[in-house]
Amino acid sequence: MTMRLIIICDVRAVASMSSPEFAVQALYSSHHGWLNTWLRARLGNAADAADLAQDTFVRLLHRTERLELKAPRAFLRTIARGLVIDHWRREEIERAYLETIAHLPESETPSVEARALVLELLESIARMLEGLKPKVRQAFLLAQCEGLTHKHIAEQMGLSLRSVERYVADALYHCYVLRYET
Amino acid sequence: MPVDNLSLTRRGEPHQQVVKQAIHWLLRLRNNSANARLRQQCEVWRAEHHEHELAWQRVQSLQAELSSNLRAVPGAQVAFNTLENSAQGLGRRQALKLLSGALLIGSVAWLGKDAVGWQQWTADFATATGERRGFQLPDGTRLELNTASAVDLDYNAQQRLIKLTRGEVIVTCGGIDEGSPFDRPLRVQSRQGVYEGVGARFILRQDDDCTRLSVTGGMVLIHSPLAAGGTPTQVQAGQSYLIDHHQAKLAPPLDMDAGAWVDGLIVTRNMRLGDFLDEVGRYRHGYLTCAADIADLRLSGVFRLENTDRLLAILPQTLPVQLRYRTRWWVTLERQA
Repeated sequence: MTMRLIIICDVRAVASMSSPEFAVQALYSSHHGWLNTWLRARLGNAADAADLAQDTFVRLLHRTERLELKAPRAFLRTIARGLVIDHWRREEIERAYLETIAHLPESETPSVEARALVLELLESIARMLEGLKPKVRQAFLLAQCEGLTHKHIAEQMGLSLRSVERYVADALYHCYVLRYET
Repeated sequence: MPVDNLSLTRRGEPHQQVVKQAIHWLLRLRNNSANARLRQQCEVWRAEHHEHELAWQRVQSLQAELSSNLRAVPGAQVAFNTLENSAQGLGRRQALKLLSGALLIGSVAWLGKDAVGWQQWTADFATATGERRGFQLPDGTRLELNTASAVDLDYNAQQRLIKLTRGEVIVTCGGIDEGSPFDRPLRVQSRQGVYEGVGARFILRQDDDCTRLSVTGGMVLIHSPLAAGGTPTQVQAGQSYLIDHHQAKLAPPLDMDAGAWVDGLIVTRNMRLGDFLDEVGRYRHGYLTCAADIADLRLSGVFRLENTDRLLAILPQTLPVQLRYRTRWWVTLERQA
């Protein structure tokens, strides 16, 4: 809560100083309410919506190009949509992780600190694999996580060896582009 | 693949083709680590050009980083299960709430919208995998959406159009009085045609490359793109049609009840096990397959959909098969040992 208030002050304070910030302020005052409603419809709760609405404007403040917008709402929606997906990804990973380790015997259950680290690792991997087709992702993960041979993966997934090889290579290439070319 | 060709020709960057070759070498070596000759050939390739070496170094360090991150997650299959499950969950949420541009999912809130009346409105409905839901529309039409299905509504002055974008829907036309604001044709569109219900109840299913229409009441007219200008095919209650991009033809008797899912059931008659598992797989996440040597076994019966794990668990009681859970989302059936 405090964080959110500080950010609001931040937006306003910075916004009064020079023209790009002024543009953000103008956007803020005309569209903040709308953005909040838009986010709320997607997130289903007001607190997360308010946080992400603020984050959206904070992102704008970090942008260097001039904000001359013909379609400000479409633009805000694009940024907000990315934030919503980040937010959901985090939630989904946490949920899936807790569900997965719930099946482990108590002796193997990781500590709270270990969990936080693992969640962060998984999130970075998930972000990297995003946009891959499910089969490509699954084949790649089977190769990476479990060290299965391509032949074994092909049998498991009911695919040809050639498809598995292509999928794994496609996935690695996807990661390469993200890492080195964007 | 999110690849922009321009970005690949930046100065000093290995060309796309070179990166792909490096990946190819890496994977070949990983699968044949003991092969000294292969190793040598790879070294020759690396030495051919500095771009080759750069691509190789990057691909290798990327691979090392990914696998060390994944190995840092303790517990067998924990990383795989978490990433798979969360990716599916995220995909579902995006499809439902974000990318489809859905206003509201299955809500009746839009019933209060009045500005343009019912002349024109649009709405999207969608279900997640394993979910089934019914929607009552203001014109009296009832929609039942099966698992992983989506429809977009587009009511305008000419017609009431329902677009089936994926999955399966049961449409029950409401009775419309002459002169009512809804007195316009009710049409459902799939990738392979447009289907007009005349006091009908019908099931429309979008498969990969065809649409299956089963009429259970009234009559449906098939306006397929091919029949443009020609007379639409009339389909009577009790008939099923398969429509692809070339033709609409009477379907052979189905080996399962087309609409039993609305009651939460799969009802089969002498259905191939392979087909049955494909069907069950529509209602659950992950992979569900069987070994080729048992795919042609036949089964008949009534199966409850509410818990597909339980459904699968009863198969070994009636067929000589056994279940193998590789992970919770990865199930294969094999011949009983």
